[in-house]
Amino acid sequence: MYRIKVDQLTPGMVLAQDVLIPRTGVTLLPSSTTLTMDMIRRISHFDIEEVYITPPEKSDREKNEEILAPVMAETHEKSVAVVEKVITNFDNRDQSGYSQALLDGLVGDLLEQVKMDADLLLNLTHMKSYDNYLFSHAVNVSIISILIGEQLGYSKEELNLLGVAALLHDIGMLKTSVETWKKSGTLTPTELQEVRKHPEYGAQFLAGNMPEDVVAVAAQHHERYDGSGYPKGLKGSAINYKARIVALADVYEACISERLYRERLTPQEAIRLIVGDQNGFDPQLLKIFLLTMAVYPIGSFVQLNTGEVGRVIRVSKNQPFRPVLTLYYDRKGELLRQPVRLDLSADSNHLLYIKETLSAPEHKKVAQQVAEAFPNHI
Amino acid sequence: MKAEFINPFVGAAYDVIKKVAKVEATKGELALATSPIRGDEVNVVIGVTGDLTGQIIFCLSEATALSFASKMLMNLATDSLNELAKSAICEMGNMILGNAVTTLGERGYFCNLTPPALLIGKEVIVSTQILKFLVIPLETKEGRITINVALQENLE
Repeated sequence: MYRIKVDQLTPGMVLAQDVLIPRTGVTLLPSSTTLTMDMIRRISHFDIEEVYITPPEKSDREKNEEILAPVMAETHEKSVAVVEKVITNFDNRDQSGYSQALLDGLVGDLLEQVKMDADLLLNLTHMKSYDNYLFSHAVNVSIISILIGEQLGYSKEELNLLGVAALLHDIGMLKTSVETWKKSGTLTPTELQEVRKHPEYGAQFLAGNMPEDVVAVAAQHHERYDGSGYPKGLKGSAINYKARIVALADVYEACISERLYRERLTPQEAIRLIVGDQNGFDPQLLKIFLLTMAVYPIGSFVQLNTGEVGRVIRVSKNQPFRPVLTLYYDRKGELLRQPVRLDLSADSNHLLYIKETLSAPEHKKVAQQVAEAFPNHI
Repeated sequence: MKAEFINPFVGAAYDVIKKVAKVEATKGELALATSPIRGDEVNVVIGVTGDLTGQIIFCLSEATALSFASKMLMNLATDSLNELAKSAICEMGNMILGNAVTTLGERGYFCNLTPPALLIGKEVIVSTQILKFLVIPLETKEGRITINVALQENLE
C-alpha cells in the first residue's frame, strides 16, 4: 500500500483504503475499488489530497518488457556492430560467405524481435550515437522497412529478404571517402557528386553475392516514383518494389534521427515533410505507411483530455486514434514517478482520448526532460 | 431537460468539430421530438450513466461523415466508409462526449459513457426508454450533424 496524490491517480488503480468525504466520515468509495476516470473526478471534486493505493500487479506485458528492454538494447548495439563489421568487410570478396551467414542471423534476430515488440525496438532507434550513424541508420531503416513489410502482409522469407536489403542499402557509402559520409555540415558540389555515386558502388559490391532484390535496393533506393531521383531517374513500376519500401523508410529514418549538423525532426514534422514530397513515393505504399503513422506517429508526444502527457509507442492497424502510450506526466503536468503504459484501444479507456499532439518546441522540451528523468526507460 | 446539461454537449460539439473537422458549426433550430427517432445514414449512439442517464445519438449523412473522417485522417482521401473512416467518426463522438462529460463534472453532474456504437443504414430508427428527445442540428459547410439528446437526471 502506498499513498498517492489525487492528481497522480490514473484509471485502473485500486484503492487500499476507503476514501471518505472530508469532515463527514461518509464513505465516498470503498476500499478495493478499481478507479475509473469518473471516480477520480469525483475524488478530486472534494477537498481530498491523497489516497491509499494497492501497488499495481504488473501485467504480463510489463513484466515481459522489463525483461526484454535490456536484451533489445543489447541487440540494437550488437546489430550496429555486426552491420559495421559486415559492411566494412564486404569489400573483401573472400569474406562474403561469412558475411551472408552473419547477416541472415542478424536479420533473423531483428525479425523475431519486431514480431515480439515492434514498439520497443522502434524506440531504440532514438538511442543515438552519431559516430557510427551509418550503421545505426542501416539497422533502423531495416526495422522500419520490416514494419512496412508486415503491413503489406509479407511472408517471413520476404521480410527476411527485405530486412537484409535494407541493412545493406547504403553499403556503397563505404567506397566514398570517410570524410564525406562522416562530415558535419553541407557538402561541396564535388562531394555531393561523390555521395550520389553510392547506389552504383553498392550495386557493384553486391552483384553476384546477393539476391537480385538486395542488389536492386542498393542501386535504386534513391530513385523516386516520379522520376526525380538518382542515379538513373527511374520512374514508377520501373523501380524495384522493395527499393520503393526502403526509400520511404530511409527518408523517414533520416528525418527522425539526429545528425551532427542538425537536430532531429519530430515524427510529425517528418510525416509532413514526406507528405509534402509525396510524388516521390509509391502512392499505395505511402498510403499504407501514413495510415499507420500519420494521425499520431510512433514517437510523438500527445496530451490526453485528462491533461496527462505520453509518447505514442504503438499504433495498431485500423485504430489510428487509439494508440498505445507510455505516460510520463500526470494531469497537472508533473513527471510521474514511474512511466505508465496505457492502451487507448482497451475498452476500459474509452473515456480517454488524445486532445492534441505537442508542438515541435514542446515536443523537444518534453523529450529532453523524459530522457533525463528516465534514462533507462525506453 | 435542463439547459444546464444540454449546453455542454452543444459547446463540446462546436469545439471538437472545429478542431478535428476544421469547419465552423452553427446551431440550427432546436426541436423537441418523441421516440422513436429517425436516424441518418451514419449514426453514433453513446449511452450515458451516472448522475444523468440516457442516450446521445449523432446523426449525419455518409458524405458528411466521409468528409469529417478524411480531415481527421490527414486528408488521406477515404473514398468509402471503411474501418478507418468508421473509427474516425466514433472517435469524434467520443471526443465530443468526453469533453461534455468533463464540463458536466465541473457543474456537479458525474457521468460515465458507454463506448460508441455505430449504426449505418438508410432507414435506421432508434427507440429509447426516455421518450423526449432534444434535437440539435449543427450546420457546417460539409453538411449537417444532428445531435439527439435524451437525458434525465437520476434522482436518488
